[in-house]
Amino acid sequence: MKKTGYIFIIFICLLFFSPALSHTKTYIDIDSPSFRRFPIAITYFKNLGGKDNKGDMSKEIFEVLTQDLEVSGLFTIMDTSLFIESPVNSESGNDNKINFGDWSIIGVEALVKGSFRFDNGNLEIEAKLYDVFHGRFLVGKRYVGERQDLRKMIHRFCNEILLSFTGEKGVFDTKIAFVSDESGYKEIYVIDFDGHNMIKITNHKSIALSPAWSPDGKMIAFTSYKNGNPDLYVKDIIVNKEDRISHYEGLNIAPAWFPDGRKLAVTLSLEGNPEIYVLDKDGKRLKRLTNDWGIDVSPTWSPDGKEIAFVSDRSGNPDIYVMNSQGEDVKRLTFQTKYSASPKWSPKGDKIAFSSLAEGHFDIYTMNPDGTDVRRLTSNSGDNEYPSWSPNGRFLTFTSARGGNKRIYIMRADGSGQRQIGAFKGNQLNPCWSPRLQ
Amino acid sequence: MVKRLSVYLLVFGLIVSFSLFLNACSKKALREGIEKKEEAAKAEEKVKEELKGEPKEETKVSQPLKSEETDKAATEAQLREEELKKQREREEAARKEEAAIKEDAAKREAAVREEFENTDIHFDFDKFSLTNQAREILAKKVSWLQGHTDLKIKIEGHCDERGSNEYNMALGERRSNSAMQYLVTAGVEAARVSTISYGEEKPLDPGHDEDAWAKNRRAHFKIE
Repeated sequence: MKKTGYIFIIFICLLFFSPALSHTKTYIDIDSPSFRRFPIAITYFKNLGGKDNKGDMSKEIFEVLTQDLEVSGLFTIMDTSLFIESPVNSESGNDNKINFGDWSIIGVEALVKGSFRFDNGNLEIEAKLYDVFHGRFLVGKRYVGERQDLRKMIHRFCNEILLSFTGEKGVFDTKIAFVSDESGYKEIYVIDFDGHNMIKITNHKSIALSPAWSPDGKMIAFTSYKNGNPDLYVKDIIVNKEDRISHYEGLNIAPAWFPDGRKLAVTLSLEGNPEIYVLDKDGKRLKRLTNDWGIDVSPTWSPDGKEIAFVSDRSGNPDIYVMNSQGEDVKRLTFQTKYSASPKWSPKGDKIAFSSLAEGHFDIYTMNPDGTDVRRLTSNSGDNEYPSWSPNGRFLTFTSARGGNKRIYIMRADGSGQRQIGAFKGNQLNPCWSPRLQ
Repeated sequence: MVKRLSVYLLVFGLIVSFSLFLNACSKKALREGIEKKEEAAKAEEKVKEELKGEPKEETKVSQPLKSEETDKAATEAQLREEELKKQREREEAARKEEAAIKEDAAKREAAVREEFENTDIHFDFDKFSLTNQAREILAKKVSWLQGHTDLKIKIEGHCDERGSNEYNMALGERRSNSAMQYLVTAGVEAARVSTISYGEEKPLDPGHDEDAWAKNRRAHFKIE
């Protein structure tokens, strides 16, 4: 992994002590049925010195801010042409200089301003958020790093913006692991949630599948045919060390980390039939959980670790089932179609996302963990498969073949805001959203 | 009188000494002749030996030899050489014929092997049960395997692209197991058959329609 990938924002400091105590007030209640988008204005950040070729950095800051706040679905981003104050080169800095009346008159309720300086390879960005309606400063951050850290700095500031308005940090600095066949082989890659900064994780020149982030975000478990058989590997992406943890005869597939990161639920077929087992992180076999004639694959833990949802064809077709962590109390959850697969338990435990075949196409659905309240999130857009939750449960990543090849998409948990991320060659599959990363 | 006698004596003396001289000369000539003959014989023997050992050096050695006997030896060596060459050619032809027969057999065998490896059995969507057609193909494979008891095979289970790839890995394993079960039940030693599932990861046809999918839902056979 490139050291630049995890850069060094040398320090992130709260510039100003905020008397507004923004965290105590929730401006946007995301879960309220009467929720409405918050009108926000994003200004171009002022260049305080140093090189900025053709205003590239200024533009990129603006684009990342706009993209992240749009993806959140919480804001209406005001068109800069409506600004009374010129958006470019507008003054930043002294709060007293902001004429909040200029902003409220065009319907803006929040304002993002800032500045940057790029000197001797060092990039310094200062960003501030204001509550226009109440005419006050909400939050300000100063970030120091290198040029390539620009996007990450702005992603982090957008996390702060969300924290201010909703009481919950954004997930704009998280990543997505996935499989791509663009090299002619199936390898694991990692990208930022917005498709930037692609890093190749495996170079097995074989078939690598099913990446699964460890809960601490430091490791990725996956299946690979590197040694001829589908075996399980765990790669520590911080120190770049890879171990083959399970290579029993037959299948060693579908890893799912237990919430404490010390063990994994997997599918093995060493006893002749694909069953779900629990292995510790070093591959020691601990316990067999399923015991029936059918296929049992794709386990996913409830966030409290007490239950596992999985796919079984024990009643003839693949359906989603749930059992407790000892393999008991097995219940079938899906009945509506002839093919349901790829369950993923939401981080808050309130939903299970899955894909299901109806009218000749696979689509993404969510349901409650008891199988009720089934909601279809995608439709009329080719095959949509492999859902995976963002760490705050507000978004899902998935693959869609709506444009021909299978590509990585993200959407909000209600199915709105579907957008392709990145533009890669070949086909992509098995996207897995990272936990929050340090 | 005395003068005449002394002349006679002188003449006699001269005759005797001359004859003695002639005698000596002829003896020396004889000795030289014998020595020459012996040398020639030795040289001939050496040539013969060398001819036996290294026929390639024939010309080099025979050049300095001028005698009739060495010419004869050289001719004989040449004759022998030609005979050897003919024999070699005869053997070569025989070998070629044999090889051609073998190659023919190998080609036929390779064709059968190829047919064995390239005739897949196919499955319905999300199924791993054997169709009647699959059973017919497997019956042929059984008889071939029984005629080649030294060979081991690997059965690959494959799926079409629809559905989850993890489920398809398991389904592919089921498919390869179905085929193996048939072979073993029909009498093929289980130790000769291994299986692997590639799920949907190695499609035969990259298309996205039922034609491609039908081709891709298969068990493939490989001779190891």
